[in-house]
Amino acid sequence: MDTLPLKTFALRAALAGATLLAAAPAFAGEITIWCWDPNFNVAVMREAGARYTKAHPETTFNIVDFAKADVEQKLQTGLASGTTNALPDIVLIEDYGAQKFLQSFPDAFAPMTGKVDYSGFAPYKVELMTLEGKTYGMPFDSGVTGLFYRRDYLEQAGFKPADLENITWDRYIEIGKAVEAKTGKKMTTQELNNGGMTRIMMQSAGKWYFNADGELDVTGNAALKGALEAQAKMVKAGIVKPATGWNDYVNAFTSGDVASVVTGVWITGTIKAQTAQAGKWGVAPTPRLDMAGSTNASNLGGSSWYVIESSKEKDEAISFLAEIYGKDVEFYQKILADRGAVGSLTAARSGAVYQQADAFFGGEQVWQRFSDWLAKVPPVTYGIFTNELDNAVTANMQALIAGKPADEVLKDIEAQAQTQIQ
Amino acid sequence: MANVMAQNRRGGLKRYYDVNGWLFIAPALLLIGIFLIYPIISSLTLSVYSGRGMMMKFAGFGNLVRIYNDPIFWKALTNTFTFFIIQVPIMIVLALVIANALNNPKLRFSGLLRTAIFLPCVSSLVAYSILFKSMFSVDGIVNRTLIGLGLMDQPLNWLTDPFWAKVVVITAITWRWTGYNMIFYLAALQNIDRSIDEAARIDGVPSWGRFFYLTVPMLKPVILFTTITSTIGTLQLFDEVYSLTEGTGGPSNATLTLSLYIYNLTFRFMPNFGYAATISYVIVVLVALLSFLQFYAVRERR
Repeated sequence: MDTLPLKTFALRAALAGATLLAAAPAFAGEITIWCWDPNFNVAVMREAGARYTKAHPETTFNIVDFAKADVEQKLQTGLASGTTNALPDIVLIEDYGAQKFLQSFPDAFAPMTGKVDYSGFAPYKVELMTLEGKTYGMPFDSGVTGLFYRRDYLEQAGFKPADLENITWDRYIEIGKAVEAKTGKKMTTQELNNGGMTRIMMQSAGKWYFNADGELDVTGNAALKGALEAQAKMVKAGIVKPATGWNDYVNAFTSGDVASVVTGVWITGTIKAQTAQAGKWGVAPTPRLDMAGSTNASNLGGSSWYVIESSKEKDEAISFLAEIYGKDVEFYQKILADRGAVGSLTAARSGAVYQQADAFFGGEQVWQRFSDWLAKVPPVTYGIFTNELDNAVTANMQALIAGKPADEVLKDIEAQAQTQIQ
Repeated sequence: MANVMAQNRRGGLKRYYDVNGWLFIAPALLLIGIFLIYPIISSLTLSVYSGRGMMMKFAGFGNLVRIYNDPIFWKALTNTFTFFIIQVPIMIVLALVIANALNNPKLRFSGLLRTAIFLPCVSSLVAYSILFKSMFSVDGIVNRTLIGLGLMDQPLNWLTDPFWAKVVVITAITWRWTGYNMIFYLAALQNIDRSIDEAARIDGVPSWGRFFYLTVPMLKPVILFTTITSTIGTLQLFDEVYSLTEGTGGPSNATLTLSLYIYNLTFRFMPNFGYAATISYVIVVLVALLSFLQFYAVRERR
C-alpha cells in the first residue's frame, strides 16, 4: 500500500467523490455479521470493515465468529421462528447451501439486483445465488482446489515438482507408495466421514450429485463412480492417514505427518501459519480422474455474503458490501496476499499481487496458478440437497472399501438419497 | 329457610376457596401453558405438515408413511436401541457392584473413591465427549497404550470403524453415568438395616448370596427407577454422538441416534420441521411406553 501512494490517493478520492455524489442517507448503525474461520472469513471481514469505516466513520461493525455449523443452525432457527431481531445484518453462507436457504426461506434475504454490478463477478458465483430472476448475495471467495505438497518429503522420495504436474489419481497413489517407502510418511490424510473429496473429484469431471435440472444423478454418474473408486483405491493402497474430524485433518498436514493434501485454496492461510515450514511447501494442480472429461482443476467450498431482508441496517449493509466487495480492487489484493482469499471479482484478477512469487511456497507464483486453475473449473449446479447426498455417500463408503462392487454401492446411495430428498 | 341460607353460604365459601386456589396456581399454570402445553400442541400440528423450510404444506399422515419408508430412520432407531440394550445393563450392574463395594464399612478412603467415581458426572457432556474423541483418535492415548503394552501391532481406527465407533460411544456414556447411578444405590443401601446382613452372615450365607438374595431385592425399586431414567436418557442421546462424530453420526450412520437425526433434519439438511416433529413424537411414544412399564412394575410390587 505504501508503495502506491498516488494510486491509493486517487482511488480514495474517487471513492469519496462517488459517495458524495450519490448523496447516500447518513448511516449511523452497527452492522452485525456472522461468519466462521478466524484465520479467513473473520479476518477478511475485519479488513473490509476497517476500510469502510475509514470512509464512513459513523458505521461500526460487530463481527461474530462461530463454527460454520453453528452459523447455519442459528440462521435456520432464527429464520424459522420469525424472531428477526435475533438475526445478524449480514451472514456468510457456503455456496453449496445457498439455494437451500433461498428456496426454503423466501423473502428472508435481501435481493441486491440493481444495487450491485454482478457483471463484474465470475458467472458461476452469481448464478448460484440467483432465484427467479433476482440475485441475492455478494459473491465472495472461490474454493478452487490445488495439491499442496511438502517439497522436502517428495524430494527425499526422488520426485521433482514437475512430476506432480497434471497427474491422475492413479499416479498420485503410485507416488504416495514411493513416498511412504522412502520417508515413512503417509501421502495424505482424509476425513472419511466427510464428502469433500468426493465433491472435488466429481466436479473435476463437471458432474455433481444432480444434473442441471436438479434431478438425482447417481447410478449413471461415471464421475461419481470414478471418485468413489479412486478413494477406495487410496485407502486400500494404504497412503491415507485417516482423520476423525476437521482438527485431526488439519493437524495431519500442519504437523508434518503427511506429505500432501488436496483441498481448497482457502487452506493457504492455515498452512502458512506454520512459519517454521516456510519454503518446504509447493503447489501443484489437482489430480484428475482417469476418465474422459476430467480436468486438473476443481472446487471445494467457497461462500458468499447475504443481507437479511428484515435487518434494520439493510441499506447500510448493502452499501457496505457493494462498496468494498463490489469494487475495491485493492482490498482484494490485500486479502489475497494476507489470507489466500481468491475473490470472485474479475477485475481484481489483474492485480499485482497475483503475479507475486511466494517464498513460503519455494518462490512459486501460487496466486497466478490458482487463478489459472479457477478459469478451468468445470461449472456444475449444486442443487439444494448436497448435505443429504454427502451423508448417503459417506455412509456407503465403508462398504465399497470392504469390497462391494461400485455399481451396487451407487444403487445403495441412490436408494438412501431418494428418501432423504423429499 | 335457614337451611337453604347455610347451604348458600357453604356454596359461597366453596367458591371462595375455589377461586383463590385457582388464582394461586394461575401463574404456574400460565407458564406451563405457554412453555409446555402450547409447544406440545404446536409440534403435534407441525407433524402433519411437510415441506422445505417455511414452504410447508398439509401432509396428513404423509410423515408417518415417510418414516415407515425411511431406512435412515430405522437405522437410527436400531442404533438407539442397541445403545440402550447393551449400555444400560452394563452400567446398572457396574454401578450396583461399585456401590456395594463402597458401602463396606471396612473400606478405607471410601469418601475419596466415592467422589472419584461420581466426579465424571459433573463434567459437561460436550467436554467429556471431546476428551474421548481425542483419546480414541488414531494417535490417541488409547492406541498408544495398547500398542505400548503389546496388545496391538497397529493403531485401530476407533472412530472410523462402524463397530468400534459404537464401542467408543458406549464406553463414553458408561464412564459418564455410572457414578451418577451409583449414588442412588449408595443412598438406598444406607437405608438397609445392617442387622439383616448380619443375621444372614451368622446363618452362614456367603457374600455373593447376601448380595443377590438380600441386597438386590431390597434395592429393586431404586434399580427400576435408575433403569428407566437411564433408558430415557439413552433414547435422547445426542451430545455425545454429535461431538464424537462432528454431527454426522458416522461412520456409515453407525452412531446416528434418533435425536441426532432430528437435529440433522432440522439444521443440517434441507429443513423439514414437520418431518422432524413427527420423529420427535416417536421418541415421545417410546418414552411413554417405557414410563408405563415403570408404573406397571411398581404397582405389581405393592
